[in-house]
Amino acid sequence: MKRLSLPWLWAVVVCALLAHNGWLWLGHRLTPDTDILALLPVQERDPVLQKSFTNMVDAAQQRVVVLIGAPDWEQAKAAASRYMAVVDAEHRNRVAKNGKANENSHDNHVADADTEPLLQLSNLNEQSQNDWLQSFQRHRGLLISAGQEAQLRKEGPAFWLEAGQRALYSPFGGPKLGTWREDPFGLFAGWVQERAQETPVRPRDGWLYVQDLQADTPANAGAGHPGTSAAYQTIPGKVDSSKEANTATGNRTATIPAATAARPARHFVLLPLTLNQPAFSLAAQQRVIPLLASAKKAAMQGNNDASPGAATPAIEVIQAGVVLHAASAGEQAGSEVSTIGVGSLLGIVLLMWFSFRSLKPIALVLLSIGIGCLGAISVCSLLFERIHILTLVFSATLIGVAQDYGLYFLCNRLHVEPGVPSRTLLRQLMPGLLLTMTTTVIGYMGLAMTPFPGLRQMALFSAVGLVFSWLTVVLWFPAMVAGGTLTAGKLVGLNHRILQRWPLLRTGRPSAVALALFLLVAAIGCARLGVNDDIRLLQNSPPALIQDQIKLSRLLDAPTPVQFFLLRGDSVETVLQREEQLKAALAPLIASGKLGGVQAISNWVPSQATQNARRALLEQKLLQADGPLAQLATQLEEDANWLASTRQSLLHNTAPLQVADFLRSPASEPWRHLWLGQSANAKDQSAGTGTKPGFASIIALRGLQRATLPQLQQIALNVPGVQWVDKVEEISSVLGRYRQNMGWVVLGSYLLVYLLMLPRYGCAAWRALLPTALASIATLAILGFSGQPLQLFHILALMLLLGVGVDYGIFMQEHPGRRDPAPWLAVSLSAICTILSFGLLALSNTPALRAFGLTMLIGATLVWLIVPLFGRSDLAANDPVYDDSFDATNEVVQRLPIKKRSLP
Amino acid sequence: MNQRLNTRQKNPLLTTLSRFSLPLLLALSGISHAAEAVKASVPASAPASASTVSAGTNATTASVTGKTASNAAATVAKIQVMLAKPAILCGNFEQSKQLSGIKKPLLATGRFCVVNGKGVLWRTLKPFPNTLRLTRDEIVQFQGERVAVRLAATQEPTVRMINSVLFSLLAGDLSQLDKLFEIDGSVDSETKADGKADSKSETKSGTPGKADASKGGSWQVALKAREPALARAIGTIALDGGAYVKHISMQEASGDRTNIVFSGLQSGEAAMLPEEVALLP
Repeated sequence: MKRLSLPWLWAVVVCALLAHNGWLWLGHRLTPDTDILALLPVQERDPVLQKSFTNMVDAAQQRVVVLIGAPDWEQAKAAASRYMAVVDAEHRNRVAKNGKANENSHDNHVADADTEPLLQLSNLNEQSQNDWLQSFQRHRGLLISAGQEAQLRKEGPAFWLEAGQRALYSPFGGPKLGTWREDPFGLFAGWVQERAQETPVRPRDGWLYVQDLQADTPANAGAGHPGTSAAYQTIPGKVDSSKEANTATGNRTATIPAATAARPARHFVLLPLTLNQPAFSLAAQQRVIPLLASAKKAAMQGNNDASPGAATPAIEVIQAGVVLHAASAGEQAGSEVSTIGVGSLLGIVLLMWFSFRSLKPIALVLLSIGIGCLGAISVCSLLFERIHILTLVFSATLIGVAQDYGLYFLCNRLHVEPGVPSRTLLRQLMPGLLLTMTTTVIGYMGLAMTPFPGLRQMALFSAVGLVFSWLTVVLWFPAMVAGGTLTAGKLVGLNHRILQRWPLLRTGRPSAVALALFLLVAAIGCARLGVNDDIRLLQNSPPALIQDQIKLSRLLDAPTPVQFFLLRGDSVETVLQREEQLKAALAPLIASGKLGGVQAISNWVPSQATQNARRALLEQKLLQADGPLAQLATQLEEDANWLASTRQSLLHNTAPLQVADFLRSPASEPWRHLWLGQSANAKDQSAGTGTKPGFASIIALRGLQRATLPQLQQIALNVPGVQWVDKVEEISSVLGRYRQNMGWVVLGSYLLVYLLMLPRYGCAAWRALLPTALASIATLAILGFSGQPLQLFHILALMLLLGVGVDYGIFMQEHPGRRDPAPWLAVSLSAICTILSFGLLALSNTPALRAFGLTMLIGATLVWLIVPLFGRSDLAANDPVYDDSFDATNEVVQRLPIKKRSLP
Repeated sequence: MNQRLNTRQKNPLLTTLSRFSLPLLLALSGISHAAEAVKASVPASAPASASTVSAGTNATTASVTGKTASNAAATVAKIQVMLAKPAILCGNFEQSKQLSGIKKPLLATGRFCVVNGKGVLWRTLKPFPNTLRLTRDEIVQFQGERVAVRLAATQEPTVRMINSVLFSLLAGDLSQLDKLFEIDGSVDSETKADGKADSKSETKSGTPGKADASKGGSWQVALKAREPALARAIGTIALDGGAYVKHISMQEASGDRTNIVFSGLQSGEAAMLPEEVALLP
């Protein structure tokens, strides 16, 4: 009765698991955590740093940036109109369709979500210009460009008098904002110009305009005036008097400006689109990608009319956005699933068919794995707030290990006389099964000892998953597979014949020499093994996409969102002053062209100290009695009243500008992400920047070159409260630390597993473990010889390899000698399944998958080949062929007669 | 079943990877805050210089009705025929400015050169020497010998457009100006032939110069920016002339007025003084 109830009890548990998982997934209560930094130990996590990443990166994820270029601005505009027409039409069609559907269904909620445009053009607001100027009106006296501030300090009254006169008399003066009297020395105008130069994008005819200066300069560098020949067309007929043209300088050619006179080779319209659905959502990708493609096609229509064979098409469309990369990764995954996936599926099905002449075994094995995964997800979701995506990835390795239990039972069932009840068989197999399970679980638990939350989660996930699938095998399989229900296929006999011919290592000279030789070669290989955790290695977007990205970033000269300075201070003023200090330190790099420029809140709101200094400068250098302003007044023949009122209004416009006010004004909208404000967690004393965290801000960098990075790091060390942040580096270092920790865990696991096997196998324990160890070493050596740098995904594979390899060792040790075909069959099937399901990933185009797959392919193959070498040689040597009565210690073989017919 | 098994192996990994590679591709793209940066540039650049750029409706929406359009086009065509369009044109200018808030009119005189394919040289000689040089890729202001302001096209994308418009203004190239401005013009046909022309007159042109005068007649045009934003920034421009532009007047919304009268126009290589050749090689 008690025996009967256990499988039923398990069925209840499984039903509960199913219900819990359904509740989790269908209710979207389980959203995997994807922030890689969440894998860092809690005490190392820095909330301010994380906020800075959120500010810089998250918004970017939803952007699709499109550049439409043509040799002619009108052409570019027309192409852009065609592009947007397609995008808008999609939205209109959808709204219209929904409108109809809505009448029937009255489901307003759904309709609302769906009537949002898929892609939205960030629109230009004409109003914004006035608002923008308005918000600086009262402070314009304090807004002075860095260059002019330096001139104010350096130059005397004569310089500024000249500047004022120049502004007065210049026919088509420089930038002009308001009247001359409001900005007699062109300081505010200079500041506005400086701000404008933070981006090369300009509004033009209601579009955003970017020009490509580089395209035409190299070809025309010859003449004193680069680019002339490309931009101007010679029109001989128009030359008024050719004799003049030929006199003095002889061959100087008279030219007439082509089209709109001086023009760059290419003009681009910039369309900054916002994706209204998550970039990583498959549904969004399926709709956006065709839309972008058809819009691009529409924009490029003009190319058919023009010369189609031209090197650079008349109209080009550059599209960039995370969604494109996500979709291309998804597409690649899809095609790989259909090639690698179908290949491995076919292989496994054939394998099972030729082994068991039935697909029931594979269904059973999948059942056990499935229940394991369900159990792991349930338990983890109960114990942890969120499950990290990397945990789910690692759970894939569970499949490799969990299948072993089921296969082991099934292979033994196949080879034991049908008369033996499955329950009896299980009792005999129990010690080995228990050992394989405990060794693997304990090995995984080693992960839980590390301080990394991600590893702990993985450890628990794997351990729970293994226990659940093991329980499924132990409790259900005997009831599901009765004796005689399995028949051996052709492969079974072949497999056994191979085992019998396989060499066996014995203590002797040849073996010792072979081992020494192996260790020597392996040592050389391992010595060559490099390490590289750079996440860029994991990048595998199609070259065309990358090229578009590179071109786009060159044209737009936008700051990178993943590398920036993080500044902290206990007050707003401190932060702003540190920003100014840092900018001063960066100025030489900008001057020498190693850095394009910086974006910072202090560009807009100088620190109060700077504001005071500038006000003082104005009063001392420009507005003082007999100063430049007074002299200008004299020259203009204006009276003292005029001078006083001009001076008064200039000073009136030097009201202190505060960050809080700026952030409230519409002008700050593009820059708000740079200001992190007051840290919410004031008691947090982390980050080691030496200052109490209070306020923080970001300084973003344009035109960053990789060669400059070390200098930037150095500069950050020299300015207090400044931290250099490099998310690429950060993630690489997380990967690196996980690789190291995982490496130690693997080593520790070997020791643990060995200790666990000692009681059962005694002196022979090493035989179960050594094949895996040797295979792992050989794999590392092969990686070393092939020049592949070691990374986290190799180590993860080695961990899995330990899990499966030890199982093979234990199976073989449970049945020493080569009489019993069952363990070797289990090992072979398990190894081939592992190779087919994981090893084939070596063919993947995704670098991480390839690393994982390659390691598994080499490792699993080697373990499979090496395991039989370590059979007990003494037994085999003395073993009279197939003497059933030989080994007294071998209970299994003795008690359970092997089917003779299975051995041809 | 097994298919699902395979998908399960791959999909989380791929998702993770695409997350991993996100920062990298963002680094490559630099697309992050393009949109914000772009918005920021709206106010910043609109007032920049001649504001040739600013936002607004595009040409099609601002167009005139068919009839007037064709009239305007005919006028423009006539004027085009009248213009001499020499490769090199130099002369004197007299500039008078009336700035709001300042009673005294500001008078300046000097020389200018418009060289096709090269650019414009604007040399104020009085009340103080100051030279403005507009070439394809930069705007430079010399205060005496010293460079007071230099704005390169690489720094400021609008430089080329500004220069192209100013070039067109001085050269009277209405076909170019037509793109940005509504042109309302009239032509006094060749009735007065050689005689008319401002008596300040085109031809003092010594030996090499006398390009003009062969074509008579005069014309006047008023330019109004097609885009509201541009119109607000620069107001209206009026040109008149014959074979050359002789007079430019600009009326800004702020109340500032500028009048420029040209005289002593010469064309051809010899029109340029040696120091001018040196400045605009």
